[in-house]
Amino acid sequence: MAAAQPETAMKDLHQPSESATGGSQFLTFNLGEELYGVDILRVQEIKGYTAVTKIPNTPSYVKGVLNLRGTIVPIVELRTKFGMPTIEYTMVTVIIVVVVKEKVMGLVVDGVSDVLDIDKKDVQAPPNFGARINVSFMNGIGKSGDKLVALLDIDRMLSGEDMQGVAAAAA
Amino acid sequence: MSRIALVVDDSRTMRQMVAFTLTNAGFTVIEAEDGKDAVRKVEAGTKLDIVVTDLNMPEMDGITLIKELRRLTAYKFTPILMLTTESAQEKKKEGKEAGATGWIVKPFNPDVLLKTIAKVLPA
Amino acid sequence: MSNEFAQFQDAFFEEAAEHLAVIEEGLLQLEQHPEDLDLLNKIFRSAHSIKGASGMFGFNAVAQFTHKMETLLDLLRNGQAAVSSTIADLLLKSTDCLKTLIDAAKSGTPVDNETVQRLTVELAAASAGNVPAARHASESAKVAPAVPTGKAQSYAINWTPPEWLFQRGLDPLQVIKELGDLGTLSQVAVDVSRLPDLAEIDPERCYLSWSMRLKTGKDRQVVEAVFDFVREDSVLTIEECETLSVKREGLESGNEIRFTNDERPSESGAAKPLGEILVESGVVSRAALDEALAQQKRVGEILIEQHAASPQQVEQALQKQRQQEATSQSKKADTASIRVDTAKIDKLINLVGELVITQSMLSDLGTRFEMSQIHVLLERMAQLERNTREIQERVMSIRMLPIGTAFSRFPRLVRDLSAKAGKKIQLILSGEETELDKTVIESIGDPLTHLVRNSADHGLETPEVRLDDNKPEVGTIRLNAFHEGGNICITVEDDGRGLDREKILAKAAKQGLIAENEKLSDDQIWSMIFKPGFSTADKITDISGRGVGMDVVKRNIENLSGTISIKTEKGKGTRFTLKLPLTLAIIEGMMVRVGRETYIVPLLSILESLQPRPESVKTVIGKGELINVRNTYLPIVRLYEVFSLQPEHTDPTKGILLILETEGERVVVMVDEILGQQQVVIKSMEQNFRKVEGIAGATILGDGTVGFILDVRGLMEIACREAPLVA
Repeated sequence: MAAAQPETAMKDLHQPSESATGGSQFLTFNLGEELYGVDILRVQEIKGYTAVTKIPNTPSYVKGVLNLRGTIVPIVELRTKFGMPTIEYTMVTVIIVVVVKEKVMGLVVDGVSDVLDIDKKDVQAPPNFGARINVSFMNGIGKSGDKLVALLDIDRMLSGEDMQGVAAAAA
Repeated sequence: MSRIALVVDDSRTMRQMVAFTLTNAGFTVIEAEDGKDAVRKVEAGTKLDIVVTDLNMPEMDGITLIKELRRLTAYKFTPILMLTTESAQEKKKEGKEAGATGWIVKPFNPDVLLKTIAKVLPA
Repeated sequence: MSNEFAQFQDAFFEEAAEHLAVIEEGLLQLEQHPEDLDLLNKIFRSAHSIKGASGMFGFNAVAQFTHKMETLLDLLRNGQAAVSSTIADLLLKSTDCLKTLIDAAKSGTPVDNETVQRLTVELAAASAGNVPAARHASESAKVAPAVPTGKAQSYAINWTPPEWLFQRGLDPLQVIKELGDLGTLSQVAVDVSRLPDLAEIDPERCYLSWSMRLKTGKDRQVVEAVFDFVREDSVLTIEECETLSVKREGLESGNEIRFTNDERPSESGAAKPLGEILVESGVVSRAALDEALAQQKRVGEILIEQHAASPQQVEQALQKQRQQEATSQSKKADTASIRVDTAKIDKLINLVGELVITQSMLSDLGTRFEMSQIHVLLERMAQLERNTREIQERVMSIRMLPIGTAFSRFPRLVRDLSAKAGKKIQLILSGEETELDKTVIESIGDPLTHLVRNSADHGLETPEVRLDDNKPEVGTIRLNAFHEGGNICITVEDDGRGLDREKILAKAAKQGLIAENEKLSDDQIWSMIFKPGFSTADKITDISGRGVGMDVVKRNIENLSGTISIKTEKGKGTRFTLKLPLTLAIIEGMMVRVGRETYIVPLLSILESLQPRPESVKTVIGKGELINVRNTYLPIVRLYEVFSLQPEHTDPTKGILLILETEGERVVVMVDEILGQQQVVIKSMEQNFRKVEGIAGATILGDGTVGFILDVRGLMEIACREAPLVA
């Protein structure tokens, strides 16, 4: 698994939006001290955090659902998803609304940071963080100036049974 | 001021046809789908120049409607025409006794309708 | 006569279809309640309406036939004839016939004249002896057309109207004016001799009489017609005084319509062909014209002669032309319209009103906007969004119709089927008010019909067999529609023999659908009947069993993105469940609270709510908590437990228990509080997430947050699974 990882990660990188410089644009956000990035073309909007309705009997990282202009959108708390301790929400806590396999979802993050151009050559395969973070959710580590950004593969992260019921067929 | 006609018929199509003809002839038309509906719609004493009503209707039939209207001071002398069929002689008589001014035999065309109205309604 | 009203034809056909449905349904009910006068009146009125309106369009065949039905119905409602099953049957057949006559008027489809004739005779026979002869006479005695005398007459008219003239809204001046319009009125004199003293005058009575002379070229009938509404109650004399000759220029040819050979009077407004005009003006003779016309070639022939086209090409083109004509006609016949509950329109109008208010608030804000007001702007924008969304939803809901319209055909169907198959069948309909999209309702009719036929023919046994099996003689077919799990479910259920496992297996093996000793689950076996060409019926009957159908049913349902499932038990019966997705549906919901969460329970599934006394709650080992409701013990589902919530109450006697029912099963659900009833729009959870057990869907609550709609069936399943654990 570990050996195959860099290759697939690099291949996947051809898909994200490519800027004029041959790189891609990423929306970056904070979770604790760490900086994460998500392909900007997958971001539908960013909205302030509002209370959600808890869905019974779902994994703890599924925070609940929200009314987004009349459609029901599930909200994922990334801290919980990544096994990080939860914190009090603040004024800068936001929901990044993304599109995953034609489904709209929201990600709760500590705050958005910036939009960064990251060149292909500045992306490395994700290092093994050990058990703390599941690297299979990552496309790689991007470098922009002196910042290191963990580039998320939201398709893989959010298309499992828990979120989309792919294999669930609970009905 | 445009004249006001009350058209009462439980058949939607008939009602629309009569209303259409009268509207084209410059009437303002109040439609009602049976006697009860008609009474409710004119209860407040709406000014009416003429009433055209079917006889066979649910809730309140035409004969009862004519009697009800004649009981109200506002419609004591208002011309009321009933829509009848050739075969319904008995009904016609009943209608007259109830206070109907005249009748129109179905089927009719717009001309007959307007001529019959002209007969009972001062121009 | 019909031309002026031609634009109302579509409205007529639509209304006629509704009346036909009323008649049919009424007649079916009448068989059970022959004494029900209201019912008879209702049927009579519908027939009467069809008769009246069809005459207006010149659909004489329809009008005449309906008249025959009406005559019989009139006798029934006047008690001059009694409702027998023979008469009900005749009237039902006549209703079918009337339907074909109306269809014929609509689209020109051929009519089985023999049937029409036969039924006309039967209807007349059923009415015979009871009908006053005078009625027929007055019907057929058409007023003879007035023969013009060609002479101007002078009439002396004396008229004493009835005293109550005014009370019928009649105005003597109107009558006199109308006479004046006919010719020259002279020597008009009023007789006031009957006028009482002023003190005794009743101003509502007419004490006057008139005499006058009228000189007119019109006939006596025309003059008499002026007094149409008063003649019978007046003293009226019209006497001819002297005769004068007048010229009648061109009247002869103007008034007459000649029919020669198969010539028809030309359509009003349509120009006559050149040849016709030449014949009329005497330039050429009719024979010369016919000869010339015979020589005239058609465009196709000319093209073939000139080798511009081959005969085959022309034939093809002609065929295409015919097709186009046919389709353009059928298209015209099918202009769809929809009738909408006025409540829906009213709601929509209210919403538009709200939209207008929001818009004006926004434009007001825009004229004097400062950055500090950004939050106000955002708020108003959100408001606008809500308004728009809700209007969109309401507009969509206009397409929603109660499924009852699709169910309405079944009472008749089942009646006929039971007669044909020699079985006793009762049909029970429920959930008719469940709303479904119009298109779905239109496409669901045929599959449902097939399932009902199937139940009647294969499912239910004959009365003898049923009695032998200790079952009630009368078999039951039950049709039900309800919302469940964000879907609309329609069930067709019978209490017949159930599917025969062995028979299906044998047949499937014989047809090579399965291997001889293949191990199959029950569900796999039942699904065999949906294979094309599969039928286990021993004999092919008129009703079903021709091996076409179940596969088509399945395909039709799948075309609507639905599923069909079977539940069957040998000797007990079979239930087919159609599950159709609903993109949008509105349900009546009861809002309930558990801790800080709000849930919506479909109102239709709530039987009652109660706060139990401590002694009625029992804990049974292995069965969990039970409550005694009217001597039945039902399992309690604590909503906070299945949904892992923080409740306000954990003691059933402090909270509220809702007794819910779905598909005949019951469950008791415990909540903290009932908040109130509300109509909610069902939103899909699956669109962006997935199915959540126990939840049918979501909705947006008044404050803009999301609330969940409970899935009663799902809760039952959870309860069944968890009950042993609780104990």
